[in-house]
Amino acid sequence: MPTGLSSTELPRVLAAERRAIADVGHLLRFRASTLPRQRIVLLAGLFVVVTLGAAVVPAYLPGAGRPGPGHARDALTLLPTALAGFQLLSLIAGVASGGGRELVPREQLVAYPISPTTDHFGALLQAPLNAAWLVQVWALLGVASFGLGPDRVLPGAVGVLLWIGVATARAQAAAWAVEGVRRLRHGIVAVRLVAVLFALLAAWLQLTGRLAPLLDHLPTRWFVVGLVAGFSGRWAVTLLVEAAMLAAATTVGAIAAHLTARLAARQEYDAESAPHPGRPTPRSDRAMLIRIDRASVWRSVPVRRGLLVLSVGPGVVALAGALTWSQLILLPGLVASGGALLFAVNGWCLDGRGGLWRASLPVDPGVVFTARAWVCAEFLAVAALITLAVGCLRAGLPDARELTAVTAAFVVVLVQVVSAAMRWSQTRPYPVDLRSARATPAPPLAMIGYSGRLALGTTITSLIFSVLARVGPPEVTVPVAVAMGLWSWLRLRRTGEEWRDDRVRARVVTAF
Amino acid sequence: MNEVTPVVEVRGLRVRFGEVEAVAGVDLKAYPGYSTALLGRNGAGKSTTMRVLAGVVPPTEGEVRVNGIDVRRDPLAIKHRVGYCPDVGGLVPRATPWEHLQLAGRIRRIPNWESRARELLERFELGAVAHRVTTGFSHGMGRRLSVVLAALHEPDVLLLDEPFDGVDPIGVEATLDVIADARARGACVLVSTHLRELAVEACSSVTVLRGGSRVATLTARDMAGEEGARAYRALLD
Repeated sequence: MPTGLSSTELPRVLAAERRAIADVGHLLRFRASTLPRQRIVLLAGLFVVVTLGAAVVPAYLPGAGRPGPGHARDALTLLPTALAGFQLLSLIAGVASGGGRELVPREQLVAYPISPTTDHFGALLQAPLNAAWLVQVWALLGVASFGLGPDRVLPGAVGVLLWIGVATARAQAAAWAVEGVRRLRHGIVAVRLVAVLFALLAAWLQLTGRLAPLLDHLPTRWFVVGLVAGFSGRWAVTLLVEAAMLAAATTVGAIAAHLTARLAARQEYDAESAPHPGRPTPRSDRAMLIRIDRASVWRSVPVRRGLLVLSVGPGVVALAGALTWSQLILLPGLVASGGALLFAVNGWCLDGRGGLWRASLPVDPGVVFTARAWVCAEFLAVAALITLAVGCLRAGLPDARELTAVTAAFVVVLVQVVSAAMRWSQTRPYPVDLRSARATPAPPLAMIGYSGRLALGTTITSLIFSVLARVGPPEVTVPVAVAMGLWSWLRLRRTGEEWRDDRVRARVVTAF
Repeated sequence: MNEVTPVVEVRGLRVRFGEVEAVAGVDLKAYPGYSTALLGRNGAGKSTTMRVLAGVVPPTEGEVRVNGIDVRRDPLAIKHRVGYCPDVGGLVPRATPWEHLQLAGRIRRIPNWESRARELLERFELGAVAHRVTTGFSHGMGRRLSVVLAALHEPDVLLLDEPFDGVDPIGVEATLDVIADARARGACVLVSTHLRELAVEACSSVTVLRGGSRVATLTARDMAGEEGARAYRALLD
């Protein structure tokens, strides 16, 4: 049994790895060539400006970096937990997406000798193309900047950025490893079991009051101490350790990617080969269309997996944090926005190339549109309801004001998100099949745009109802909800009217 | 043949997608009980013409009538009369063949669609996979199912776009049978294909398209054998 690389094998392996890394550049250029250059420059410029702003501006705010008790010290006290939180969320995102995003969809590269190392680096480089990742990074930089003040902002920012790299690379490595386990016999059950055990452990820590002391003694404190020291020997050691961890995590990730690539994607193959016995024919065209659309959603591995993470995750966090009803109001918008990013922003992709055949069926286009919008809405509603059901377990019974506000927020964000998703689906159809667990309904840059716009819209709506839950009587909340819901409803209806145009439908169905 | 009223009548059809002109003035007539092959190189406009006839893509210019109905005025009525097998895929990825057939049966109001569906699935050797999602299907299986879906309701006009592409001999035979059955009951069949030999076997006449326009219409006999191959080659250049 071979135990290691021989002296003749090592140069060959290293050459192959160098080539794999060079291929990342080729694929990136290929990917970038499909995008307008002006848009890339604009987005990259925006990213640099916002990141610099987040890293520098808070350092010059009043009270920033001030020694002694105050907000600056609070920020530094929170920083170890924030760094650990970033690690945890990156890990969950990586594991849920089955190893991160593909630089180029798998089916397009099937004929080319693309190494798993290329795939690994491609996924790593695309991690920042995610609104949630970006917001966390800016928040971390801002907190560190405010806590450290103008004198130590530069060494602090360098250290935080390196930590972000470490956390992202470690999450990526763990994601490959978990995906590898998933592909083993009984691997899916094992992964689910471990996830449940972690959730139970977290619940036990929280309920027994052990969570706060644990957060106070996280290993990330060591890094924060290094950053607080400013330019010094301790800071240099911290950076060296971070750089070593980054290199190690990246290498381990590449090895894990290779091992995972040798195994068959069991969950995806199981989903494709599972029998679905016929059921009685529904009584109406709409019901039949809804059934087919529903099957397209719930039989998709990335959509199912995404729903689980997206709905249960925030619910558990809300439960652990014992959020009140006025705080819980923020969750349906967050979850509905995330849910739409699983498929609804490119809703017609559910038909894939079958859209052409479906378009040849003699059915009113309005019924087709309504069925698709309904299926999107029910999917998002299920996700948001799971979150609320888990999250409200410690919130007690809501009073009339809170109940009205939660219900209103739930309905309004649902209509808002469905309306936006159906509009975007019609305007920009992307040819994706959502077959792979790593698939997303649109390219990364489009996904950032969608997530940003959804998050902004639903957060503003949720905040309005959160305020109304505290101060607004139902007589005020209901008319506000009707007005806001009606606005989104009318936009959804206009999209539906446009769908009746043969040219619009032809452009969408021929895009896949 | 000329005394019979054509089921499909296309005059000066043009289809533009932005700057690209996919069809640049096609004229075509197809008759009940006959099958017409559309031959031509890639990008000749065959598939786009089929999509227009199926009521899926609206024409930019020209007149297109199916059973006397203007495709621009009443595409829904045309969809009732047409059975369409698209050139690529044509299947909803996470739906089963049975669910596809059930959808077609329900929307087209086909009485007792189940027995016809079972018969077609068996004929195309798809009975064993009737309840598996189509994502895992081979290209040939997908093509065969697309033909089944197009033929399920015994349409007046059967549009088969590349039905033989990647299909095994049993599937080819079953497709030829479907075409023969359709002709026998008086339906008009249009077959778009790259495969001249199969076009000749399946069809009574052949229309050759080049660069989005019709260049010739010949009898299938004229396109058969070595002579036909040379004639076809000459029409493509």
